[in-house]
Amino acid sequence: MKKTLTYLCLLSLFFTSCKKIISIDTNDAPPQIVIEGKITDKLAVQQIKLTKTVSYDADLNFPAVSGATVRVGDSRGNNYIFTETAPGVYTNRMRGVSGVTYNLVVNADGQNYTASSRMPNNVKLDSIGVVLNSFFGSDRKTAVAYLVDPAGETNFYHFNLYVNEYLSQRFYVSNDRLTNGNPLRVQLFFKSNNNNNDSDELNSNDKVRIELECIDSNVFDYWYALNEQSGRGPNQGTTPANPTSNISNNALGYFSAHTYQTLNMVVR
Amino acid sequence: MSLKIYFSFLLTFIFIQVIFAQSRYNLSGTIRDANTGETLIGATVRLTGKTSIATSTNNYGYYALTQPEGEYDVIISYAGYVSAVKRIILNKDIKFNEELKSANDLSDVTISAKNRKNENVKSAQMGLERVDMKSLNSIPVLLGEKDILKTIQLLPGVKSGGEGNTGFYVRGGAADQNLIILDEAVVYNSSHLLGFFSTFNADAIKDVSLYKGGMPAQYGGRLSSVLDVKMDDGNNKEFRFQGGIGLIASRLKAEGPIVKDKGSFMVSFRRTYIDLFLQASSDSSINGSTLNFYDINAKANYKIDDKNTIYLSGYFGKDNIGVKDLFENNWGNVTTTLRLNHIFSDRLFSNTSLIYNNYNYTVRLLNDVTNFKATSLVRDFNLKQDFQYFSNKHTVRFGLNATHHRISPIDITTTQTSQVNPLSQEKRYGLESALYVSDEWAATDRLNFLYGLRAAAFSLLGPGNFSTYNASGNILTTEPVERGKFYKNYLNLEPRFSVSYLFNDENSIKASYNRNTQNIHILTNATSSSPTDQYVLSSNNIKPEIADQIAVGYFKNLQENNYELSGEVYYKWLQNQIEYKNAAQLLANSSVESELLYGTGRAYGLELFFKKKFGKLNGWIGYTLSKTERKFAELNNGNYFPARQDRTHDISVVGIYNLSNRWTFSSSYIYSTGNAVTFPAGKYTIGGQTAYYYTERNAGRMPYNMRLDVSATLEPRKRGKYESSWNFGIYNLLARKNPYSIEFKTDPTNPNKTIAEQTSLFGLIPSVTWNFKF
Repeated sequence: MKKTLTYLCLLSLFFTSCKKIISIDTNDAPPQIVIEGKITDKLAVQQIKLTKTVSYDADLNFPAVSGATVRVGDSRGNNYIFTETAPGVYTNRMRGVSGVTYNLVVNADGQNYTASSRMPNNVKLDSIGVVLNSFFGSDRKTAVAYLVDPAGETNFYHFNLYVNEYLSQRFYVSNDRLTNGNPLRVQLFFKSNNNNNDSDELNSNDKVRIELECIDSNVFDYWYALNEQSGRGPNQGTTPANPTSNISNNALGYFSAHTYQTLNMVVR
Repeated sequence: MSLKIYFSFLLTFIFIQVIFAQSRYNLSGTIRDANTGETLIGATVRLTGKTSIATSTNNYGYYALTQPEGEYDVIISYAGYVSAVKRIILNKDIKFNEELKSANDLSDVTISAKNRKNENVKSAQMGLERVDMKSLNSIPVLLGEKDILKTIQLLPGVKSGGEGNTGFYVRGGAADQNLIILDEAVVYNSSHLLGFFSTFNADAIKDVSLYKGGMPAQYGGRLSSVLDVKMDDGNNKEFRFQGGIGLIASRLKAEGPIVKDKGSFMVSFRRTYIDLFLQASSDSSINGSTLNFYDINAKANYKIDDKNTIYLSGYFGKDNIGVKDLFENNWGNVTTTLRLNHIFSDRLFSNTSLIYNNYNYTVRLLNDVTNFKATSLVRDFNLKQDFQYFSNKHTVRFGLNATHHRISPIDITTTQTSQVNPLSQEKRYGLESALYVSDEWAATDRLNFLYGLRAAAFSLLGPGNFSTYNASGNILTTEPVERGKFYKNYLNLEPRFSVSYLFNDENSIKASYNRNTQNIHILTNATSSSPTDQYVLSSNNIKPEIADQIAVGYFKNLQENNYELSGEVYYKWLQNQIEYKNAAQLLANSSVESELLYGTGRAYGLELFFKKKFGKLNGWIGYTLSKTERKFAELNNGNYFPARQDRTHDISVVGIYNLSNRWTFSSSYIYSTGNAVTFPAGKYTIGGQTAYYYTERNAGRMPYNMRLDVSATLEPRKRGKYESSWNFGIYNLLARKNPYSIEFKTDPTNPNKTIAEQTSLFGLIPSVTWNFKF
């Protein structure tokens, strides 16, 4: 990556860009409920997590919301009660089905929150791999997912990339607006949590795992909005705002019924 | 009241006003520079005798005055030139052309006090700033590349689009609400190199006027300002060359007569050479990369006879950025203007312009899997017919303007191996047409009016499929429309009114009201102008943007017009403003209109300006106190929120000191409140990552901006026709780290904490430029 930096310096000629840590004045909002609910097409323990926001300068220690009632109904008349198995984590062992709409009802702290999501058809994650990108003369390994987008429908994809079981700190989301019906090779650039570019490289013997979720259009909008804002702060790009959630009553988060696949490999 | 009644009322009124002036004699002519033959815009022609009257030359150096029979002194003056005085006997209509000598020596610059103009006090025009091309040369700028757009940002009421950026905001308007015209042609994207440099090569520019308010009726189509840039005509007496070599670019200009005293040409070329450094790299992947821009300005004029002059001018500019085997991006503007000045009579001056302009960009991704080529184009054909009628106390302007727009939002082509599909987004066609009339009326010695009306019509034309959408953005109906059919029409009447009242020659108050409308809009998520900004026309979904502005000001000149002092307050109402929904996908989206939100805005402020025009030390101090807000039902709980460019305080100080004939020193200082931005009010975890929780929109502030720039110009003694100068500059002398952006991230030293990291673009940057002329 050193070369990239050199190049960027050249590119900007004398633009002596520099960074520094500053303190900002923020108004702390009272804690808000955050709901993250997922129903997959695998017979598994499905989780719905309830947490709260913390203030901007607090530790990354998000309080769990306990004692809520969580229930999911589907368009075929089934009802699933989710029970709290860990603080703020509500579970039920079940399997979701493509084409079925799932309705979430959460009652927490005397408030009702509802959401619905229709599980799309599955698109097969054919394989995963690593490609070599030549980036200003230096070769860089990037994880890729291979799939074939079906022509007859609109598809939305959400990926998770794990390197050595560490979740990449990016939101990978795409739709088929410009690629409908084509074989796809989706590149997933890894981002670790420390702000060091060099540790974002894939190395030999790294274990790579890629999850593919076929999501509905509301959930796509949610991830897309989060992605637009991540890694960008004020005065860059869009004015940040809370992504539009499919959950009612101003709750943060999302409720997604999606198909789920995962594939593993080791970087050679 | 219908449009017709409005117009006949106004025309009758003006006609009655004008008709009184008939039994007098007329003095008219053209004022030029004695050395170059270049016409002088805005030169003062004063006639003193039994009675006294003054006027200014128009954009083509032409003037006309009417006075009763008698003996008069004609005094012609223009800043930086030696005034001319002639005695005439006005007993018939007289043609009087004059050439003024440029005042090159300092001794000449101290223009005798009685010839200094008080136009700023007297004229009813408000909110007008003229950029002095001479002081432009000495004002310090980034990398020494002198730039009119950066210079106007130093004026009160004009805010910079960001550090080192040529984008600008006028009185609370957005960046796409500025009408930027070069020799009458609209320049859609006025920036090079992602905004760090403007498309205007100062060598080729003769005159720059910025209207912040009180726009005369001949201008229309944008809400917040008019930047009227005119190219040099070229020297019609002898061949001259000038140029310069700077850190970023070099320039060369040639001019000369086509036929001596009858016609001339001017060609100016500028190119950057950053990429030469890239080529010099031994690394094959770097030396295969491109990063450059160039532009060409060219103009020719020919005086067919005393009544007809023809002009042809053009601009061509291009930016190229590319990384070998990865991507290429290029963009540029083309403008061509063909004009005919025709003098029907001494009093009726006509200007007919045929204009072609386009803005286009291309993006190419070159890798084997996702390769594609995307192109986009905005193209206008424009006809302008403008008449100026000069009478005793009136200058009447009337005319028409018709523009045909074609927008190709995006065309994507790919190869067989690409996973991207070819796409051709439907083109959009529109016709903007306007009729206008305005009258500049010296009602009494103390009372002046500038008033008029512009009727602006817009039609969205077929062919095309036009859709309506529900609140969640899904298509409700789609209507196919045939070629040439008018699908949607809008008509807006734009009254323009300004008045000045003089207490005496050095004191006046002015007031103005104007309405402006806009039918072509930029959709962009970026802070500053981006090459891939998308243009959309007003449609069944997008209503024309409307702005109403009132302004009141006090103007005072001191010490025989050496000092100008002014204070203006304004209030502006904005309607049909455009914002984007969350997660809006603006590019290559045929339903892009479903991603938009519509709201209102308001902007108000106070602008103070103090300027010293003459003497060894000159310059100005500007201060702006302002507020700019927007309101959308879907955003910020439907409450007003500050627009991004809302900066409470803005101060600029410019000083130019002529030490001697050889050395000139100058400096500029700016201070401004930080941009309004949205800071997180909390954070939460989602998808295994940390996300931020936002409450009030744009309620936070970036840190303030402050910068001091200095420069020194050395002009060695002239040797015959050969002149040269060295310009040394330091940008950001205090090396202050001005905020460009802020990013929130996890503290690398404590993963449990969040930090705000500010990025600054420029530290202290020295520059040197060498200019020559022969």
